[in-house]
Amino acid sequence: MWKVNERGEKVFRGGKEDGAGAAQAADKCPNFKLDVEDEIVADELRSCYNCRYRRWTAESFACYKPE
Amino acid sequence: MRILVCIDDTDNMESKGTGELAEMIAEHIETSNWGKTTRITRHQLLVHPDIPYTSHNSSMCFEADIDTSYLRVLIDFAADFLVRESAPESDPGLCVAVIDQIDDVDTLIKYGHRAKQDVMTKKEAYNMAERLGIHLSEHGGTGQGVIGALAGVGLRLSGNDGRFKGKHKINGINDIVTAGEILSQTDIDAVRCLDGNDLDYNDKVRLNDWVKSVLLEGKCVLIVSPTENDPDGVKWQMCPKKILKSLG
Ligand code: SF4
Repeated sequence: MWKVNERGEKVFRGGKEDGAGAAQAADKCPNFKLDVEDEIVADELRSCYNCRYRRWTAESFACYKPE
Repeated sequence: MRILVCIDDTDNMESKGTGELAEMIAEHIETSNWGKTTRITRHQLLVHPDIPYTSHNSSMCFEADIDTSYLRVLIDFAADFLVRESAPESDPGLCVAVIDQIDDVDTLIKYGHRAKQDVMTKKEAYNMAERLGIHLSEHGGTGQGVIGALAGVGLRLSGNDGRFKGKHKINGINDIVTAGEILSQTDIDAVRCLDGNDLDYNDKVRLNDWVKSVLLEGKCVLIVSPTENDPDGVKWQMCPKKILKSLG
């Protein structure tokens, strides 16, 4: 589900369109924190795509609060 | 005079969002009786490894109608506010443009669009602002946020970018309303389906708790998508967040 990029960041393998995978990852993650309303993008609220600790990259996002 | 105020790069992963800070500035304008403000729009800028940003790389912009005599005091307030309220490691930028005095609106709109596609420099932003007669200033860190602040003004002026901050509150019986009721209860200008056609006044829409609008053709537009097997035969529903994201 994750890979480490050249900057040492933990990047989601599913890209920006894997809603089910991002929801599954957040479901298991104790660090999930819902982002501010302006930045919510996924219908499944508990999703890495809606997490305050994701930082978008060109193709996907990196998790800035890895377990 | 009508002005646009835009801020960028004020937050980090733990702080208040840039949208909330824009809202606080807008509130201050209203409570100080400097003028009236309109809804805030959020504009997504380029996400690229060469662009440092602390949280989202989106800027927040609103329009205000103020008395000319308050322009300076408003800029000073917003500048101090950003110094005080921005997250420590952020790089905040502030742009304030008097709409009728912008020298070349098309150039500014093009700049806004470019900031969604290209990596831009601070120098270019300052040069552009000076040339167009627009206030642009930085208030901490690297000040990189000036790029997004200027771009946000251009994108807001384009009338076709971004989504509005906040959700609309609409009352409907069993969460069903007509398009006409949506228009009369809110400041939404049009209820539109994805093919670009506006709904008729009597077309029914199923609500949920996520009624968000986008800026299209200079208007506040609510995008709806077709329902599937609605139990009450309602044909339209709120557009999924994923589609909204792609629109603004
Ligand atoms: S902290 Fe990271 S892994 Fe956990 S929900 Fe947020 S983005 Fe996903």
